[in-house]
Amino acid sequence: MAGSNEINANEAKKVVPLHTWILISNFKLAYNMLRRPDGTFNRELAEFLDRKVLANTVPVDGVYSFDVVDRATSLLNRIYRCAPRESESGRQLGAGIIELEKPLSSTEIVPVIIFFHGGSFTHSSANSAIYDTFCRRLAGLVHGVVVSVNYRRSPEHRFPSAYEDGWETLKWVHSRSWLLSGKDSKVHVYLAGDSSGGNIAHHVAHRAAVSGVEVLGNILLHPLFGGEERTESERKLDGKYFVKLQDRDWYWRAFLPEGETRDHPACNIFGPRGSSLEGLNFPKSLVVVAGLDLVQDWQLSYVEGLQRSGQDVKLLFLKKATIGFYFLPNNEHFYTLMEEMKNFIKSGVC
Amino acid sequence: MKRNHSHPQKHIITYSTPSPGAATSSVTGGDVTEKGKNMWDEEDAGVDELLAMLGYKVKSADMVDVAQKIEHLEGVLGNDDGLSQIASDSVHYNPSDLNSWLESMICELNPSPEPPMIDDSFMNATLPDSELQAIAGNAIYPPLKKLKPNCSSSSSSASASASSSYNPNPNNQNQVVLVDSQENGIRLVHTLMACAEAVQQENFQLAESLVKQAGLLAVSQAGAMRKVATCFAEALARRIYRLSPQTPQDPPAFSDLLQMHFYETCPYLKFAHFTANQAILEAFAGKKKVHVIDFGMKQGMQWPALMQALALRPGGPPTFRLTGIGPPSGDNTDHLQEVGWKLAQLAETIHVKFEFRGFIAGSLADLEPAMFDLRTDEVLAVNSVFELHQLLARPGAIEKVLSAVKEMKPEILTVVEQEANHNGLNFLERFTESLHYYSTLFDSLESSGTGSGGLDGGGISPVTNQDKFMSEVYLGKQICNVVACEGTDRVERHETLTQWNNRLDSAGFEAVHLGSNAFKQASMLLALFAGGDGYRVEEDNGCLMLGWHTRPLITTSAWKIQ
Repeated sequence: MAGSNEINANEAKKVVPLHTWILISNFKLAYNMLRRPDGTFNRELAEFLDRKVLANTVPVDGVYSFDVVDRATSLLNRIYRCAPRESESGRQLGAGIIELEKPLSSTEIVPVIIFFHGGSFTHSSANSAIYDTFCRRLAGLVHGVVVSVNYRRSPEHRFPSAYEDGWETLKWVHSRSWLLSGKDSKVHVYLAGDSSGGNIAHHVAHRAAVSGVEVLGNILLHPLFGGEERTESERKLDGKYFVKLQDRDWYWRAFLPEGETRDHPACNIFGPRGSSLEGLNFPKSLVVVAGLDLVQDWQLSYVEGLQRSGQDVKLLFLKKATIGFYFLPNNEHFYTLMEEMKNFIKSGVC
Repeated sequence: MKRNHSHPQKHIITYSTPSPGAATSSVTGGDVTEKGKNMWDEEDAGVDELLAMLGYKVKSADMVDVAQKIEHLEGVLGNDDGLSQIASDSVHYNPSDLNSWLESMICELNPSPEPPMIDDSFMNATLPDSELQAIAGNAIYPPLKKLKPNCSSSSSSASASASSSYNPNPNNQNQVVLVDSQENGIRLVHTLMACAEAVQQENFQLAESLVKQAGLLAVSQAGAMRKVATCFAEALARRIYRLSPQTPQDPPAFSDLLQMHFYETCPYLKFAHFTANQAILEAFAGKKKVHVIDFGMKQGMQWPALMQALALRPGGPPTFRLTGIGPPSGDNTDHLQEVGWKLAQLAETIHVKFEFRGFIAGSLADLEPAMFDLRTDEVLAVNSVFELHQLLARPGAIEKVLSAVKEMKPEILTVVEQEANHNGLNFLERFTESLHYYSTLFDSLESSGTGSGGLDGGGISPVTNQDKFMSEVYLGKQICNVVACEGTDRVERHETLTQWNNRLDSAGFEAVHLGSNAFKQASMLLALFAGGDGYRVEEDNGCLMLGWHTRPLITTSAWKIQ
């Protein structure tokens, strides 16, 4: 039951800085306009409102980016790389020339993180400003490469489109000679994502594990999971911190096949229709849960599910964090997250 | 992390073929320095940096005001799906400017002229990281505009309250490059670049041998890469051998023909016409007598659609006067009159009172306002599609033309230009910029007419091979001009939105924002256009851009006198 808007606005205001409140509330306001009660989505207005940024081969804060389009599928990925220190390459980058022939390194391991942006499967793109900024930071943080996937979104493209796009990207990344690194000369791949992106990362990792494709680690930032049952966190936090339960329901209806329930295995990983991960070579996971996110009970169940399956998982529980805390570097949770992600990747790299 | 906005920027798209193990690919770009006045520094003092990084322009001093507006709107929209629908269906402008966007929504949705409750809780709450700037006094809502029945009231409120610090992304230097997985593709790009560099250094012997190599490599390529490379190699050869005239002067009839094929092949011109017409229609709303001056009449392809829209106007069409300007035809035929005649026939069938006049001018700078028989009871729109950049070839010309336009007191000036800087002082820079730009254009051509848009029958009209070929010739001539010509011969002096904004601002114009309705209809138009689902419409500071994937290629903007 959503409380009155006035009370809830006051709640959220007390726990996030002004900038964050404005940013997330603005999204909430816009998104309310875009979702229609009949399940359709005002895609043109969404694209109009979304703030996008260009890629940039001129390094900013040591990271440059460029877009790659797969001719066959029209799928776009945005690649973020750390600018090399050598002056020759630096000069070339300044002139906009990127060498995509040589491996990242033949001696050191350079992590390649495939990132799936959030947006409840419906909103945002790889070139959305919030995600471009985040990926840029991530690349710099781990001194690696980030591949941000512009996956197909619902309701136009339902399950399993996003998962398939993720899977294709994983295979593509593994086959790039210019993403190789280390003495073992392979692509050191991690998967990461926030919200729906976290959900996609899980499913791609699952498929990878089943198919024998290597993924070194998963980072799930308040991933989107759910189920038919209403959990305590959903009841308690409904409408309190930017998100209403009915909105969550709308997005699941838009993503899952028509007529499906939230116990569909895409949504309810370890639920009645889920499959076990026991015995699978599933990557180690870092699962970040925001304590003020109404989805947290599902995320905690996910962590428990992984543990029960004998998989390696670390939980980072940020008690006072709301969704989207990582978009702006203006709160302690942001810095905690950065540190944890860095260590998580680093520990796989040594 | 601070994003330095005066930092040069290069945007690149590369393409990959689906075959696994496609190992080698390279991209090239050119160095870009933003020359000229940088509006960002001057007029964005006080813009909140954190939000700016995420694409929003909010003055630090307005932060609390913005928060209160959001809260107010949440209250209004929160429990009422009907209002949400109204908000969704109304026209939105310039979403980067949060303050005015929110304000216009409040105006749309607030049925009574009473000021809303002002919630001061932000002022009093202690936030964990207090980012409140010192704000003198209480944040007060600006006086509410009465809700007008016509929702286009939001356009006047948006442009009135939108800060005059019009600030498009100043780093809008975009580049796209084709990537070929074949080894020759990379070598080809490198050879072209090396050749351009040799030309810049006036090492013509080296340049000559490189251009020959490039020609040979180009032949072994396929698709768009081959065509682009061939065009650029040819242009380089012309420059090296100083073939004069560098580009043969085509009779206007032929240029028009080429452009018509380009019009059929890909949506750029259609988008240009469509979005400019949207702005003109809005400017003409409620007016009984209207006059359009078209700086580049050509075959008049823009005007039937506008005339039809005017004919369908509730309340009936205005009297429509069209003045078309064109270059001398060289063969003594007055093709302008022919075009005018055809439009007159159309006007008759749709019952629009129509008047046409053609002007032949070697340059727009030759025109004087007095020539146009401007009538005081008429509303004027001036329309320029790919015309203004040509004026940059002669010093003083653009200033003269803009000043003349100002004198004519138009209700609106619509400008469509290529979104690229092909006018830099440095030859190598221009070369690489244009290599990126035209590579993208050719790539989009390549996929047009293939029907991947999903509609049977090729959408609006099927694209023939001849259309495609002529479009390539059309673009090839532009490439030749950018690369091989100098001085007054080099007329393809494309500049970016940022640069045009500076020029127009200096000349005394301010932006009229194109809104979400134009955006939506342009998007739908593209969806109809078969072939290439890579086309994207983007909104940038009130202007609309059409691009291929993430690279904007042309920009439509609208202006009025400050």
